[in-house]
Amino acid sequence: MRYWLQRLGAALALLLAVSMLTFGAMNLLGDPLFNILGPAASDTSTEEGRQIIADAKAEYNLDEPLPVRYVKWGSAFVTGDFGVQFSVDGQPPVADLIKERLPRTLMLLIMAQLIAVTLAIPWALWSASRADSVVDKMSTATTFLFIALPNFALAVLIKYVLSIKFEIFPLIFNAADPFWTRVWQMVMPALTLGLPAAAVYQRLLRTDLITTLQEDFILTARAKGVSRRNVLFKHALRPSLFSFITIFGITTGALIGGALVVEQVFIIPGLGSAIVEAILREDFPVVLAIVMLVTAAFVVINVIVDLVYSLIDPRVRAS
Amino acid sequence: MRVEAGAVLLELDDLKTHFKTERGLVRAVDGVTLKLRRGESLGVVGESGSGKTVLSRSIMGLLPSTAVRHGSVRFAGQEIQGMSSKQMRHLWGAEMSMVFQNPLNSLNPLMKIGKQIVEPLKLHLGMDKDNARATAVQLLRDVRIPEAERRLNQYPHELSGGMRQRVMIAIALACGPTLLFADEPTTALDVTVQAQILDLINEQRRDRDMSVILVTHDLGVVAGHTDQIAVMYGGKLVEYAPTKILFADMKMPYTKSLMRSIPKMADPSHSRLATIPGRPPDLVNPPKGCNFAPRCAYAQDRCHVEEPPLTEAKDAGHVFACWYPVGSPEFERKDAELQEQGIMPADSAAVS
Repeated sequence: MRYWLQRLGAALALLLAVSMLTFGAMNLLGDPLFNILGPAASDTSTEEGRQIIADAKAEYNLDEPLPVRYVKWGSAFVTGDFGVQFSVDGQPPVADLIKERLPRTLMLLIMAQLIAVTLAIPWALWSASRADSVVDKMSTATTFLFIALPNFALAVLIKYVLSIKFEIFPLIFNAADPFWTRVWQMVMPALTLGLPAAAVYQRLLRTDLITTLQEDFILTARAKGVSRRNVLFKHALRPSLFSFITIFGITTGALIGGALVVEQVFIIPGLGSAIVEAILREDFPVVLAIVMLVTAAFVVINVIVDLVYSLIDPRVRAS
Repeated sequence: MRVEAGAVLLELDDLKTHFKTERGLVRAVDGVTLKLRRGESLGVVGESGSGKTVLSRSIMGLLPSTAVRHGSVRFAGQEIQGMSSKQMRHLWGAEMSMVFQNPLNSLNPLMKIGKQIVEPLKLHLGMDKDNARATAVQLLRDVRIPEAERRLNQYPHELSGGMRQRVMIAIALACGPTLLFADEPTTALDVTVQAQILDLINEQRRDRDMSVILVTHDLGVVAGHTDQIAVMYGGKLVEYAPTKILFADMKMPYTKSLMRSIPKMADPSHSRLATIPGRPPDLVNPPKGCNFAPRCAYAQDRCHVEEPPLTEAKDAGHVFACWYPVGSPEFERKDAELQEQGIMPADSAAVS
């Protein structure tokens, strides 16, 4: 219990620090007023122009010192009020943009991780049970290929092979299509993110499995007459999952970064393309909201990873 | 095929187990021939590196893929050398099972004890869940684990080392095997627990008419708990005899040295422990002649050139491989010389 309270405290502190850094950076590196009003921000020649500037400053609290603005933004943010987008006609709320974009990115990430995990576990078991054979060495070379290939290059390759050459998957993502059609359209982007992740998981899990297979309790299981297959699945797999689960949590963060590129290449209007556009426009309420979401997601996933540890290892539960 | 108590259960004929390594062929077991009757217990004794553990795993067929086996292993009248692990699987845990040295590592840390005991019961005897659980409780009681029902839902880390070794024994006994291998079963345990575990194995052997192969480096362990003793050196059997005869009349200078290296109560305190000088032989390039000759205080020229064959001693069932065994004129002359120089202790008291 105490441990989980500590975890919660650490998670909140992390969110606070990330929000301060991002908020500070966005406010110090650009001129918010210019971003809101455009060229009109420096037009003080007319009474009307000065009035517009004063109104904008009042509306966005720009006259207040930075810490006060941070607190005002922060307290609105936690109630779900993410503010309005800058430099867009009509200044729609940031929340609308997130609501529209988030599900697509989420779908991409979930599919990528599903592909990665369902590929990596059987692959690692297969490799570890014939460690150092020719096929294992070939599979190791394959993983290095996936890990070394930059994801835009892999994206182009996948597009070419699976869409242009064999016409299995459609090239275009259409947000208006029904759910299962969108899932089908998302397979290639998810593969682009998922294959390198699968390769990383496979390398790690294979190594841990090989170590576990040297353990005495594996010999005990064999001496009981358990089949090779069940030795792998029932005895060796679970004790080998720890580093895999850790890296799963960390990779989720990296995949969010990867999603930026993949969404661009496959033209998916997701959070990744939203943040890229927002940064270019210095639309910092949008940037802030997305950064906070991503950080929160990362923290939550890593707390889940800790929970999973204690689920698979009774010794962690006890301490 | 079930073997009657007292009939031959296991027969090894010139069993060889070699490992392919980068340095060359390691002759871990190099021509072992012996017989074991059902219900008998055999102690396999030797230093680390003598091949005793590999011998027991060779018989069982639990070897890494780098191992090459030759010779014959007959179990219950059936040749099992050369069987695939798929075929051996029906014997493992059912007809022959093994208890390992370190109970802290030999149980799956992430699996409840109950599940680990039930596993072979379901596998070999096809028991349903309730039946298997009831049998598991009975097995835990047999190996004298208190609060047996509660243990089924515990994990290995919740038990002491001695308790875990009892669980290992319960798992090994689960399907009523006729042959139990105990590979240094007490080495990792407290001295106070050691005797209990050995007595437990012995008691189960008698109750079940089971044969036991007890592998150990400690002659003291096998003294009270085996019918036969096989002394191994450099992958070979160097002396083999019924336990009482061996302790009364050991022929191999190596056996004698092992005996001398056990500290005795009668020794004055702070007296130096007797050791065997040198190291076990290189099993890739074994020495010419007798394997033990380079370390043997009694070795003569012939020992370095010609390998001694296993010869019968005066008692039935006692064989040894030595040109100048304990009691031979050459040995006695040399022993007197060494004692004069103070190199060898004057005792040669046998323990039985």
